[in-house]
Amino acid sequence: MNLKPTRSSTDSSRAELASVPSNDADTTVDLGELQEAGRAIMRNVETVIDGKHEAVQIALTVLLAEGHLLIEDVPGVGKTMLAKALARSVDCTVGRIQFTPDLLPSDVTGVSVFNQAERRFEFKPGPVFANIVIGDEINRASPKTQSALLESMEERQVTVDGVTYPLALPFTVIATQNPIEMEGTYALPEAQRDRFMARISMGYPDPDSELAMLDSRDTNSPLALISAVVSGETLRDMMLTARGVFASGAVKEYAVNLVRATRDDRDLRLGASPRATLQLIRAAKAQAALNGRDYVLPDDIDSLAVAVLGHRLVPTSRALGHHHQDSGPVIDDIVRRILADTPVPIGVAASALSRSVTQVRAVGSTGTS
Amino acid sequence: MTSLVAQEAPAADSPPPARQVSPPRAHRRRRGERVAALWPLALSLLFLLLSSCAALAPLLRGNAWWWVCAAVGSVVLLSAAVFRRFGLPRPIAPVASGVVLVGTMTLLFGGGTGLFWIIPTPQTIGLFSGLIDSGGASIAQQSTPAEVTLGILFLLAGGTGLIAVLMDLLAVTLRWPALAAAGALVPLLVPGFIIDDGTDVAVLVVTAAAFLLVLRVDVSARRAREAARLAVGPGEPRVYRPERVRGRGRIGGTFVLGSVTIVAALILSTLAPALTSGGLVTARPGGLLFGSGVSPMINLGQDLRRPKAGPAFHYTSTGTEQPYFTLLTLDEVIGLTWTARIDGADVRNTVDDIPRPFGLDANVETVPASTSVVIEGVNSHWLPAPARATSIEGLTGRWYWDSRTRAIASVTANTLGQEYTVSSLELKPTAEQLRRSSTDYPASVLGNLQLPVDPPPIIEETARQVTAETTSNYDAAVAIQDYLRSSAFIYDTDAPVEDGYDGGGVDVIGVFLKEKRGYCVHFASAMAAMARTLGIPSRVSLGYLPGVKSQDLEQGLGQYNVDSHDLHAWPELYFVGIGWVRFEPTPGRGTVPNYEQAADVGTPTAAPGGAAATSAPGLSPDRLADDSALERGTTPQSVEASNLLAVLGFSALGLLLLLLPGVARRMLRRSRVRRIRSGGAGAGLAWIEVQHTSLDHGIPTPITDTPRAFAGRLERLGTLDPASTEALERVLLALERSRFDRSPVRADTLAADLTRVLRGLHGGASAGIRLRANFAPTSLFATLAAVLRGDRRARTIAP
Repeated sequence: MNLKPTRSSTDSSRAELASVPSNDADTTVDLGELQEAGRAIMRNVETVIDGKHEAVQIALTVLLAEGHLLIEDVPGVGKTMLAKALARSVDCTVGRIQFTPDLLPSDVTGVSVFNQAERRFEFKPGPVFANIVIGDEINRASPKTQSALLESMEERQVTVDGVTYPLALPFTVIATQNPIEMEGTYALPEAQRDRFMARISMGYPDPDSELAMLDSRDTNSPLALISAVVSGETLRDMMLTARGVFASGAVKEYAVNLVRATRDDRDLRLGASPRATLQLIRAAKAQAALNGRDYVLPDDIDSLAVAVLGHRLVPTSRALGHHHQDSGPVIDDIVRRILADTPVPIGVAASALSRSVTQVRAVGSTGTS
Repeated sequence: MTSLVAQEAPAADSPPPARQVSPPRAHRRRRGERVAALWPLALSLLFLLLSSCAALAPLLRGNAWWWVCAAVGSVVLLSAAVFRRFGLPRPIAPVASGVVLVGTMTLLFGGGTGLFWIIPTPQTIGLFSGLIDSGGASIAQQSTPAEVTLGILFLLAGGTGLIAVLMDLLAVTLRWPALAAAGALVPLLVPGFIIDDGTDVAVLVVTAAAFLLVLRVDVSARRAREAARLAVGPGEPRVYRPERVRGRGRIGGTFVLGSVTIVAALILSTLAPALTSGGLVTARPGGLLFGSGVSPMINLGQDLRRPKAGPAFHYTSTGTEQPYFTLLTLDEVIGLTWTARIDGADVRNTVDDIPRPFGLDANVETVPASTSVVIEGVNSHWLPAPARATSIEGLTGRWYWDSRTRAIASVTANTLGQEYTVSSLELKPTAEQLRRSSTDYPASVLGNLQLPVDPPPIIEETARQVTAETTSNYDAAVAIQDYLRSSAFIYDTDAPVEDGYDGGGVDVIGVFLKEKRGYCVHFASAMAAMARTLGIPSRVSLGYLPGVKSQDLEQGLGQYNVDSHDLHAWPELYFVGIGWVRFEPTPGRGTVPNYEQAADVGTPTAAPGGAAATSAPGLSPDRLADDSALERGTTPQSVEASNLLAVLGFSALGLLLLLLPGVARRMLRRSRVRRIRSGGAGAGLAWIEVQHTSLDHGIPTPITDTPRAFAGRLERLGTLDPASTEALERVLLALERSRFDRSPVRADTLAADLTRVLRGLHGGASAGIRLRANFAPTSLFATLAAVLRGDRRARTIAP
């Protein structure tokens, strides 16, 4: 199987991604509507997930920012529930892949089947051909299978037997995984973790939420009650609107400074990539839009930095210390420390702004090439 | 100097962070670098301290003191660096270096009283306080350049050590190297207040350069530390790490700042003498033996009470009698004290040919005498010389004689090490001539008749009582002299001090006449004052007694030695036709001039105005009153007024300096609000003002806070009232719109909201904080320090 994408299609898809959409009144929704729709989705999801407001919010932000979400936590805290609830709240196609060690790449991408009647191969699309793909326990599959999914995540296309099939838009993968030290897991390589826009962990609910959950869920499956509140069309428009949110030079400079600080931090063996910078800004735009703003604040960056940068960083063994088992909390602390140490550029009105924009662009272009 | 700045920088600025091999080693190495970066800072601070200490050189004799100061300063600064090297916590290091200072001082000055020579014991503390007292006293007594006594050395070394601790605290612990200059300013400013020349320009330049070096090294250290922190571990894939662009541009900034500083310092240093010659400090006319600003008489007393006499000078004389040596003459009573009126040096009054005293009749016998003087320990701008000098030879420097008192003085030179020969006239008037002297005093001595408005009545009462049976001014003077020398009076240098009536002031004379204990100053001024009440012009001379004849054959038999216990004060009374005649009312001191004896030798020939003598005591009180009123109305009051003006001026200046930061801050705030209101500036400036006001009120404004986070922190403080909170949110929104949105939206209420927020911030603070915000606004200093440090981030906040 040739997983390498053809060159021409790669360029076109990237060009499409990188281009800033024109503010067409037809295709975008009003910020107020977007905020309203966002709230509706949040409410919907929160009927099944209790007391995880922040996680839900980041999940929605990632969905809106056209990124992929990695939910990492111990079993049984509602990872899959969150993914499913989010997918069901939007009226669009949902694919679900349960990753197992014997899962094959073709089980993800689809397979060419020989059609006896027409005497030719026919492509049967796999579950990845959907607007929202839920990859459950992604780290249980073999690296080969993981790569099949991950290629499609970044390129938004699937190549089977030399033929490239574009994926539908919007396309978002919501993957769940158990912490790496669990049995029967293959850790996602750094390069592949990098493709997820954000990683969140659910954490255990607080006692009140857990009690409430017991009351509401011992009889029926709450998921059954969830119905779509936003159409796929609307979601697409919302994404376009979110893309159009303005990020000033100062904010971009701040994001770049943050990411650069992770590269130079003494507790980190691997810092965040330029892709991280891109995605940080993109997520910040989505969050700004969800808050009804058409411009990004440094605060958006601050609140998303842990989720967006955390899973891309590799701590030094010294920083891990005796917490060798679980790098998550250590990394989160490091990111918070970097946040607290990085000055916020307030920026100057016009002249300096253009300079920092070009700077950010330059970094961005090196990142994607 | 500047090349040093440039050289020092790369040394501290070249951490090779990317070349480490393995993570643990790399870590250790980096830490070493961070600590090592403190050494250049400590050394540059030491350089600054030592160069600024050198500014004291014109005030002190020799240079041994500088080495002691250097030793103490080095021990303190380097020990602080060593403490840091061994990882002592930051706040502890200054305390530890303070302890080291105490130990060093005990070792150097404790004289073995310390436990293990370095731990001070109560005995040491007693010793130290004695040293402090004696140091302070000798500073007050001595003139510049002062002899460095042990007490002065103790003060110098201790002061240097304290400044070193302060500098270390400011520059290394608190990381405000710019403020470390405050320590260096202390020794720099001292000469400006004491001598007219102010601080040596070379020292000033070197110190300024040292200060720049400190700043530069600090910046380098910061950068090195930043680089060490940014450096990532061993060869992991750092694909996207772009080249770090670290401009050397700040060196240019350093030079600009440096030249501005040095030019400003030079301008200030030329202004400094102009300032000091204005008033306050000019009370030091005399010179230096009689310290600055304090009454010469008090100083004289202090010298007399010194337990051990120091040699002053020795001389040989060809005269018929051993002369009194006059240093200066106090001929005016200003306020309640005797003072010397200084008209300033008249360059025409060179000492190689001094005219014959004015008003000396030819028929009064004079004997020329020649006195060769070798100064040993007198340090003064006044030259000890026998009265009525006609010429002085062998002096170095420019010396002038005062046309009123004939005292010999110099503005620039001093007496130290001078060897000179004075030709003078010994006055041999006869008692008869003195008795016959008229009371037609020339206008130039009428000033010597005046007394304060309300002298203690006891002076005149005593004078009248003592002189009741005399018929001439001369007899009256002798009667007063005899009265004061009688057994009723006791010579005692300590009693006046203990009973609190030291000095020669007119009110003191009242007390003295009751207590009947005192020393030369009291006797002399009492006699002078009593003479004035009787209408005899009088003045008080300060100087030396003739001393004692040397018993040492090697020195030669004709030599007389004078020491500091021979300091003396005596009255001189004016007699028409003869001039100023010395009297000696102090019991047991000096020699009583015997004019009766001289009468035999003298030739009583012409008797001008013999009848007038009797009328002397009955000198018209009207005239006296008129004269004194006239005198008081002109010179003394104007002098007093100018002094008062100077005091007022300086207090006003001081007050102004105190108020300056507050006023500057207030004006800045006003102008900002005005600019915002007029639309000249936007929310950015408003936000800066909010931040600065918060800073003034002790609320930190870290640059790592987002505006929203900062606003949240302000609100959580709970000191803002709801209206201010709303206003704050509007200002915040305006800032965010202006800085982070596409097109800033013009907020009309911005200025009003801003003032509302500022008022809320100020109103919610406690009284102490409000006071601080009003008079010592931190933001002003912080901005200044940031600009001085060359911190670019601070400037990006600025509009």
